[in-house]
Amino acid sequence: MGVRCIELPGIGTKYELETEEGDRVAIIFMGSRRFQLYILEKGKSSPSAAELTAAEARRVGSLLSGAIIEAEKEAVEIAFSTLSDLRIRVHTYAIGKSLAKRSIAELQVRTKTGATVVAVSRAGKNIINPLPSFTFEDGDIVVAIGDTDQLEEFEHQILGN
Amino acid sequence: MEEIALALFLCLILALLSKRYSLPPIPFYIIAGIAIGKSGLSLVPADDYSRYLSSLGLIFLLFYVGLEMRPRSLRESGRTLLLSGVIDLSVNLLTGFLGAILLGFAPLESFILASAFYISSSAMSIASLVENRRLILPEAETIVWMMVFEDVLLILLISLFSARVGNPVTFIALTVAVLAVTIGIVRLARHPIKALLSRTDDLPSLFTFTAVISSSYLAKLLRIPDALVAIILGSSLAATSGAALDRLSQPFREVFLVLFFVFFGITVDFSGGFSPLVASVLCILALVSKMLSGILVGRGLHGSVPAGIGIGANTLGRGEFSIALAAVFGSAAISATVAVLVVATSLVGSFTARYSEGLKAWVGRERRGSLPGPDALPE
Repeated sequence: MGVRCIELPGIGTKYELETEEGDRVAIIFMGSRRFQLYILEKGKSSPSAAELTAAEARRVGSLLSGAIIEAEKEAVEIAFSTLSDLRIRVHTYAIGKSLAKRSIAELQVRTKTGATVVAVSRAGKNIINPLPSFTFEDGDIVVAIGDTDQLEEFEHQILGN
Repeated sequence: MEEIALALFLCLILALLSKRYSLPPIPFYIIAGIAIGKSGLSLVPADDYSRYLSSLGLIFLLFYVGLEMRPRSLRESGRTLLLSGVIDLSVNLLTGFLGAILLGFAPLESFILASAFYISSSAMSIASLVENRRLILPEAETIVWMMVFEDVLLILLISLFSARVGNPVTFIALTVAVLAVTIGIVRLARHPIKALLSRTDDLPSLFTFTAVISSSYLAKLLRIPDALVAIILGSSLAATSGAALDRLSQPFREVFLVLFFVFFGITVDFSGGFSPLVASVLCILALVSKMLSGILVGRGLHGSVPAGIGIGANTLGRGEFSIALAAVFGSAAISATVAVLVVATSLVGSFTARYSEGLKAWVGRERRGSLPGPDALPE
């Protein structure tokens, strides 16, 4: 599954790979932030192609590399293809009345669940990396980071869902 | 002054139309030039001023050709480049030359005509590969390398035709000296040039423009063609910040090239020994021979006639380089013939490029129908 890379004078750089199934995929980087994505099915002679803007290309790239945004769950999973199987989930939760006036240290978030609260959004303001002494208020949106199990524990033990 | 404004305004409208219908703009610029120029309504005369501005188009085009000469990519693609390039060259230059001789041109005129006949338009071929989305096909790479080979040949042809005027020994000595001095200066000043080109103010574009204009002045001083000096400058400067220079020279190239095409059309003179019949025969010959060389390259490199049809269909159009050769070296009759050749082949070529997949499929079916292929045999 080697990727072939070739400089095409006057066009740009072409990356090409043949899948195990025998289909061929090519990506062409043309200067001025334009991209073409080609797929040539095995046994077919006419390719399909799409021209992408830089933003669209990034979007397709992140979908394929596994950072799939599950909007309905308000979670993002990030996979690092270079670090074998490292997957990190980032999840947002709403803080209810039951947690108001309680601090991160008091709730022992990390000790109990392994997940970490990395940011809090309160009334349109963001607090990044809140200190253990930080106290929640009703209506806060917190961003927690961890693996799938740790975030499940966070939901059960801290939020009480 | 108002002539240039009129010509440019006309070209702007034509460019809009050609983009709208995905057609190459070059033939329309030439037709527009013919219509308003010497052979048409005589609205716009070519004076020294317009001649100078349009010559800048040619210089910026050749500066770009030099800039794109990357010795590394030439070496990497060695076999494809050489094989496809030599087939393309020998078939088309020979057909063009014999055709021109048989149609009554003098040997030297025939050679200049054959060069214009041989050289396809890189701009059109590459634009059609991108627009028609053919870049994943194996033959697309072959086409790109063929165009690179043609660029190298263009340099040789320009040198050859220039050496003919005056003393060849002096010419070669001067050219080699200019080449050595340019490479030497660029190498010594590589770091300051790089630093200059990475600035964010107006200096990088001023530097690019000044370098190209000065090269043309130097050429006039030394009596060697400015086209050649522009290529030498481009290929030497490619070693500094090639991508930045490409980006910086692009606006100059685009605007001045349009002027170059339209003023080429304006100066075309159909009364100086031009024969419509001869031109039509050459046009048909040009289409047939390019398709033939394409098929030979396809068979030789990809083992496939349909791939060869694809190569032929995407390279039929002659354009900027043919006009450059005719404008610099051709007589009135040659310029008029090349103008017709470029208009006809580029328009036909844009259609064959667009429908090349259909053409390939059709040829594939015909071939399977006429001779029993392996899939027609009983199991």
